Amino acid sequence: MADADWLIEVDQLTRRFPRCEALGGISFRVRRGEIAALLGPNGSGKTTTLRILSGFLAPSSGRVRVAGCDLQTHPLDARRRIGYLPESAPLPLDMRVAEYLAFRGRLRGLRGRHLTVRLREVADRCGLGDVWRRRLGSLSRGFRQRTGLADCLLHEPDVLLLDEPLAGLDPAQVQAMQEWLIEAGRQGAVLFSTHVLSEVEPLCQQALILNAGRLAAADSPERIARASARLRAELFAPADRLAAALEALPGASDIRLQPIADGWTDVGFHSGPEELSGSLEDLAADHHWPIRSVRRESRTFAEAYLRLTSALPIVKNPPQRQAS
Amino acid sequence: MKAFLPLWKRELQAFFLTSIGPVVAAFFLLITGTHFWLLASRLAQGPADGGLTAAFFGSPVYWLAMLVASPLLTMRLFAEEYRSGTMESLMTAPVSETEVVLAKYAGACAAFLLLWLPTLSYPFVLELCGARLPPLDWGAMAAGYLGTALIGASFLALGLLCSLFARHQVVAAIASLTLLGLLLALGSVELPARLDSVRHLAPVLSVPLHMADFRSGIVDSRAVTLHLSATVLLLFTSIRILEARRLR
Repeated sequence: MADADWLIEVDQLTRRFPRCEALGGISFRVRRGEIAALLGPNGSGKTTTLRILSGFLAPSSGRVRVAGCDLQTHPLDARRRIGYLPESAPLPLDMRVAEYLAFRGRLRGLRGRHLTVRLREVADRCGLGDVWRRRLGSLSRGFRQRTGLADCLLHEPDVLLLDEPLAGLDPAQVQAMQEWLIEAGRQGAVLFSTHVLSEVEPLCQQALILNAGRLAAADSPERIARASARLRAELFAPADRLAAALEALPGASDIRLQPIADGWTDVGFHSGPEELSGSLEDLAADHHWPIRSVRRESRTFAEAYLRLTSALPIVKNPPQRQAS
Repeated sequence: MKAFLPLWKRELQAFFLTSIGPVVAAFFLLITGTHFWLLASRLAQGPADGGLTAAFFGSPVYWLAMLVASPLLTMRLFAEEYRSGTMESLMTAPVSETEVVLAKYAGACAAFLLLWLPTLSYPFVLELCGARLPPLDWGAMAAGYLGTALIGASFLALGLLCSLFARHQVVAAIASLTLLGLLLALGSVELPARLDSVRHLAPVLSVPLHMADFRSGIVDSRAVTLHLSATVLLLFTSIRILEARRLR
């Protein structure tokens, strides 16, 4: 058994389809009591990741452990510890809510009085009392989503995997879902995919940002935003020599240079989580380049996400005018 | 195998609760009932070779009922799960591929047997109505029902496999119907001489010839073994395909 605190452990996970590589070796962990968001553009591998974690798909390589159970060697034990809500909560529309949930409970081995009690509890928790005898086909999207969530909760799983649970819900339903996620996150680990960036910061302790099947970031939203900050400075230096010097500066990327008046050059670069202002000052001192200003440009989590998911090249604006 | 029973019940319930189930049952009982009554009326005029049982099992109407019922009973098993997206929920529950395939197959078999069950009452119903029935050969009748169950078992397993490959129920039904039609034609159509190897195999594989033995009261162990083996092989293939889907 792995450390009991880590409920989701993903190590070098890859998944290849006949025509593409959906995941290229991602690794992350989610601990008990944590809500993690899986973010990324369409086709970045979010659904594939969730499908592998839920056991619906097998990985091409890599290892997945859920609540200490290896998904490859003990698939049924692992699936017993997972509650999975697929995208758009597909349900058999000919069944009634009560029938469906009872059927799902029995599939997971719940029987008799225990099943009855659990059904009552999830019906209360997900607000399904009014539609309990209704056919699933006659329910609104919100109620279908709630039924899917009730299904996830029936067997009191350690891990909840939710594929876009906020999609298509009205604002009241989104708020109810957020409260529900927070409550669920207290008891186990929650991993959900979403495109709604504004929901991530208040809800999640961890954001996993996927881009083209690679993990671009896995940290708290605050740290991801902080790590994405840019350093801006004005130096009295010839732009071409400055560009060459900055390229050699470890940790600096996305370097942009803009010559300004009287031989001064405005320089901006992404400094990553490292504090590079000291290194920049050392570099300027070594070359006897005076520095007029140094400032750190903070970024929001949304800006950091956009930067991480759009392949920004290192841009060096050609010098307009040589510094004298 | 804890999940077998709930899955089996769900399949049976789904068949009879959806609109297709009662329609299939009504169609099946109508054509088999009418056919039995017509046969009984004809045979009451005078004896015929093999009697009522031989005329009932293996007649064109019997094969029509078999040919139509099997694809309709199996078409939704997997195709509907994939079409509606519920396959994802099902395969992420703690159930094995073997449980899923066997429970769905058992559900289809139970529905098939339930369709045939009322036909047992046909002779008694006609007698109650005052019909003069020719004497029944109970041994041949039992063998006829055994043959129907065995042939039905292999037909349903083939239908389940077709449903696994199709993304829509209708496609699954058409595929299954076509394959079963070809299988039935195997013993009835004269094959050209260049297909010599198939010609030799045709009597062994011919389902109508198997039924001809059963309706005469002969339980040929070769036919029994063939249908049981075909059923096991088709179900095993279905399980392996479902397992491979996780890797696809």
